[in-house]
Amino acid sequence: MGNKQTIFTAQQLDAYQDCTYFTRKEILRLFDRYRDLAPQLVPLDYTSHPDVKLPYELIGSMPELKDNPFRQRIAEVFSEDGEGNMTLDDFLDMFSVLSEMAPRDLKAFYAFKIYDFNDDDFLCKSDLEKTLNKLTRNELTEDEVRMVCEKVIDEADLDNDGRLSLEDFQQMIVRAPDFLR
Amino acid sequence: MRRMSMFPGSDPSNLAFTEDAIRHEMENEEQNLVKKLVALSTRERIRDIRDLPMSCEEKKHIRSQVLAFKSAKQSRQFTCFTDCSENVSLFFRRCGYSIRSVRQTLELWQGIMKEIGGKFGTSVLSYFLFLKWLLMFNIFSFLVNFGFITIPLLVYDPLPSIPPNVSFRGLEILTGAGYFNYTVMYYGSYSNETLVGLVEYNMQLAYFFTIAVYMVLCGIALILSMASSFKTNYVLAAPASSGAWQLLCSWDFNITNERAVRQRKNNLRVQLKESLSEKAQRELLTLSEKLKHFGVYLGCWLLSTGLAVGCGASIYYLCQYEQQRAGDAAGRSLLREAETLLVPFVVSLMNLVVPLFYSLFYKFEHYSSQRRQIYALVVRNVLLRMSILAVLCYYWMNVVARTYSCWESVVGQALYRLVIFDFLFLMLGSFFGEFLSKVIGTTLLPSLGVPEFDIARNVLELIYAQTLAWIGIYFSPLLPAIQIVKFFILFYLKKVSLTQNCQPPRRTGRAAQMQTTFIALLFFPFFVGALSMVAYTAWRLTPSEQCGPFRGLNNTFSVVGVWMDDLEEIPGSQWVVWIYQNVIRSEIFYFLITLIILVIIYMFWQVTKGRKELICLLKQQIVNEGKDKSFLLDKLQNLQKSQPNKPKLKNQKRHTGRRSGTSALIQAMLARQQAQNEYDDGY
Repeated sequence: MGNKQTIFTAQQLDAYQDCTYFTRKEILRLFDRYRDLAPQLVPLDYTSHPDVKLPYELIGSMPELKDNPFRQRIAEVFSEDGEGNMTLDDFLDMFSVLSEMAPRDLKAFYAFKIYDFNDDDFLCKSDLEKTLNKLTRNELTEDEVRMVCEKVIDEADLDNDGRLSLEDFQQMIVRAPDFLR
Repeated sequence: MRRMSMFPGSDPSNLAFTEDAIRHEMENEEQNLVKKLVALSTRERIRDIRDLPMSCEEKKHIRSQVLAFKSAKQSRQFTCFTDCSENVSLFFRRCGYSIRSVRQTLELWQGIMKEIGGKFGTSVLSYFLFLKWLLMFNIFSFLVNFGFITIPLLVYDPLPSIPPNVSFRGLEILTGAGYFNYTVMYYGSYSNETLVGLVEYNMQLAYFFTIAVYMVLCGIALILSMASSFKTNYVLAAPASSGAWQLLCSWDFNITNERAVRQRKNNLRVQLKESLSEKAQRELLTLSEKLKHFGVYLGCWLLSTGLAVGCGASIYYLCQYEQQRAGDAAGRSLLREAETLLVPFVVSLMNLVVPLFYSLFYKFEHYSSQRRQIYALVVRNVLLRMSILAVLCYYWMNVVARTYSCWESVVGQALYRLVIFDFLFLMLGSFFGEFLSKVIGTTLLPSLGVPEFDIARNVLELIYAQTLAWIGIYFSPLLPAIQIVKFFILFYLKKVSLTQNCQPPRRTGRAAQMQTTFIALLFFPFFVGALSMVAYTAWRLTPSEQCGPFRGLNNTFSVVGVWMDDLEEIPGSQWVVWIYQNVIRSEIFYFLITLIILVIIYMFWQVTKGRKELICLLKQQIVNEGKDKSFLLDKLQNLQKSQPNKPKLKNQKRHTGRRSGTSALIQAMLARQQAQNEYDDGY
C-alpha cells in the first residue's frame, strides 16, 4: 500500500476500521463519495474533526438511496440529529450497517428502527400503515390496509400487547432468511 | 441517543424523578460494557464493537475508552514485552485489513453482481451466485486433474503419438473425435506405466486416486454447503404466505433501480390483495371442483412422466440405430463424423423443447401457492433429465463397453459432444427464448409483455451441465476445462440477455429456500447419480485392453490390489497392507461404521425432538408473559381510576387531559421500569 493520504490520521483510520465493516480503501472511497455530494462543504482534511453535516436532500439523492421507499427514514435513523442531516461518521455508519458484511442481528435492529416511524420503540398500527403505504404506492383501499395491518399484528405479536416489540420483530426476522441480505 | 429513547413524547415533569436514575443506569451500563470488552481478545473485541447497535461516534467513544483502560492497565505492568506484543498485534491487524481489501479487489464479478442485485433483486442474483459457485468448482477440478494427471504425462512424454493420416480438420471442435482422440483429452491416451523421471510416478495410481479424491471432495463440499444452507434457510423459516412476512421482510433492500422498485411495489400490492381474498376462496371449493383439480393433476403428472419415459426410450433406439450405421460403414469420412452429432443434437433439443411444453401445463393446473407450482415444474424437469441421462449411461455401460476396443474414449467423446451441444443450445435458448419473446412481447403481442427471467429453468440447465462434467471426469479428465470456458461465456451471455431482454420475476417466493432446494437437487439425484455411474465403471467394468492407464486389469479398482502386492515387498510398509486387508476389505468394518452412524443419527434425532418440544414450551411462555402483562396493565388502570384522589396521579391526569389512556400506559411502563431497576439492583 503505502500511498499517502492526508485526510485522516492513521489513528482515525484505525478507529474507523475497528468500528465499521470496511477496509481502509473502502473508507477512503466512501469519503470520496461523501465529499462528492458537496465539495464546497466538506474539507479535505479531517484530522481536526471538523463539524460538517450534509443535509438530507443531498444524502437522499445518492443512487443507492434515491429509489428506496424508505430513504428518508433510513437517513433519519442513521443521523445523529434524527432529521437526516449526516456527518461523515453517520454516513460511514449507515453504509456499514447496510453492507453485506454486517450481521443479521444488527440489520434487524436498524430495520426495526426504520419501520418504527414514530420512534416509540414499538411497531404499532400506524407504523405498519405507513410502511404499507410506502411499499405499495398508496394504492390499497383503507379497508385493505387495515386488514393487512391487523393480520400482521395478529401473526407476529407473540406477547399479545397489540403491537410489535423489537423481540417480536427479531423473532420474525430469524424465520425469514431472505431478509436483508 | 438512538439506543435509549425509551419514552419520548411523555411529559418531562413526570420523568424528572427517573431521569437521573436512567442516566445513572446508562453510565453504569457503559462501564460494564467497557469492562466486558477489555477482557476480550483483540479480535473478539473488534467484532463486538462493530456489532454494537450504536452510532459510529459512540462506538469510537467506547473504543477509545477500552483502549485507554487497556493501556492504563498495561503501564502498571510496565514490561517491554506487552508493548512489543501490542505493536505486533497492531501490525498483524493492519496486514489482515490489507489482505482483506486485496481479496475484495480480486473477487470475480463483484461489480456485475452488485449491478444485477440492484436491478433484479436477490432471487435473480442467486442464479448468478450459483453459476459462479459452479465455475469455482470446475476451476478446482481442472487444477486437480491437470496437476496430478496431465502435467506428469506431458512432462514425461510431451508429444502425443498421432498417426500420420490424422490431422486437425475443424469439425473436431464439435465432435471431439478424430484428432482429439489422440490427445490428453481422453482416457485412452494416458499411459499405464510408471513414469521414471526425477521421481517415480505411477500413472495408474495417480489416475485412480485423483478421480476418487476429487469425487469424495465434491461430495463433502456439496453436503457441507447443503447442510449449512439448509440450517439457515429452511429449518427456521416460517410459511411464506404470512402477511407479516410479506409486509415487513419481503422488501429487497438490494434493489436500487427505479423500474425494479416500481415493479416490486406493484407485485407486493397484488400479493397482499391475493392473500386477503385467498381465505375466502379456499372455503368455496366444492367436492366436485376438488375432484376436477385432482383429475387435472393426475393427468398432467401422467403425461409428463410418460413424456420423460418416451424421451428416454427414443434416445435408446436412436443410439442403437447410430451404432448399426457405424457398424455398416467403417471409415473416417467427414460425413460419418458428422453423423455422430445426431444423438447429442436430439438430446439437447429434447431438453430445450419438452420443458417448454411442461410450462404450458400452468394453464390447466390450479396450484394454491406459487411455490408448489414451481416445485412441480422442477420435479418434472428433473425426471426428464434423469431419464435421458440414465438411458445414456445404461447404453454406454452395457453396449459401448462391449463393442469398442477403446470404449472409455468413445464414452468420453460422447460426453464431450453432449457438453458442447448443451452449450450451443443454452445460447440458442437464451436467444430464442428470451430475445425473441421480448421482440414479440414488445412489438407484436403487447399482452404477452417482456419475458420474465425463469430462475428454476435456468438453474436446472446449470445442474444438468454440471452433471455431464461429473460423469465425464473419469472418461475425459480435461472436460472441466471445457466446462470452465462454457460457464464463463454463459455468465456474460446470461447477464446481457437478462439486462436486455428480461424483467425481474413477478413472484419471487423465497430466494434463499429455492437456493437450498437447488443445491439439494444438485446433490441428490445428479451428483449421486454421476458418482454411482463412475463407481460402477471403476468396480465392475473391464477397462479396455489396448489403451488407457488401466489396460490389462480386471477392473479399475484392482489397481489398489496390485499396489498392495508391490508394497508387501518393501519393508516398513506392512502396516499399510495390514490396514488395506483388515479395514478396507473387511465387511465388519463397514458394518460397524454404519451401525455407529445410525446410532449417532438416532441420538441427534432425539435431541432435535426434545428441542422442538422446548421451543413449543418457550413460545407458550411468551404468550403467558404477554397475558400477564396485559392483566397487570388492566389492573393498574383500574387502580388509577378507582383512586382519583391520590395526589400524584391526579396531578398527572389533569396534566394530560384526554390522553389518559396512553398516560396510564406510560405510568405502567415507568412502574415496570422502576421495578426492574430495583430488581436489578437487588440482584
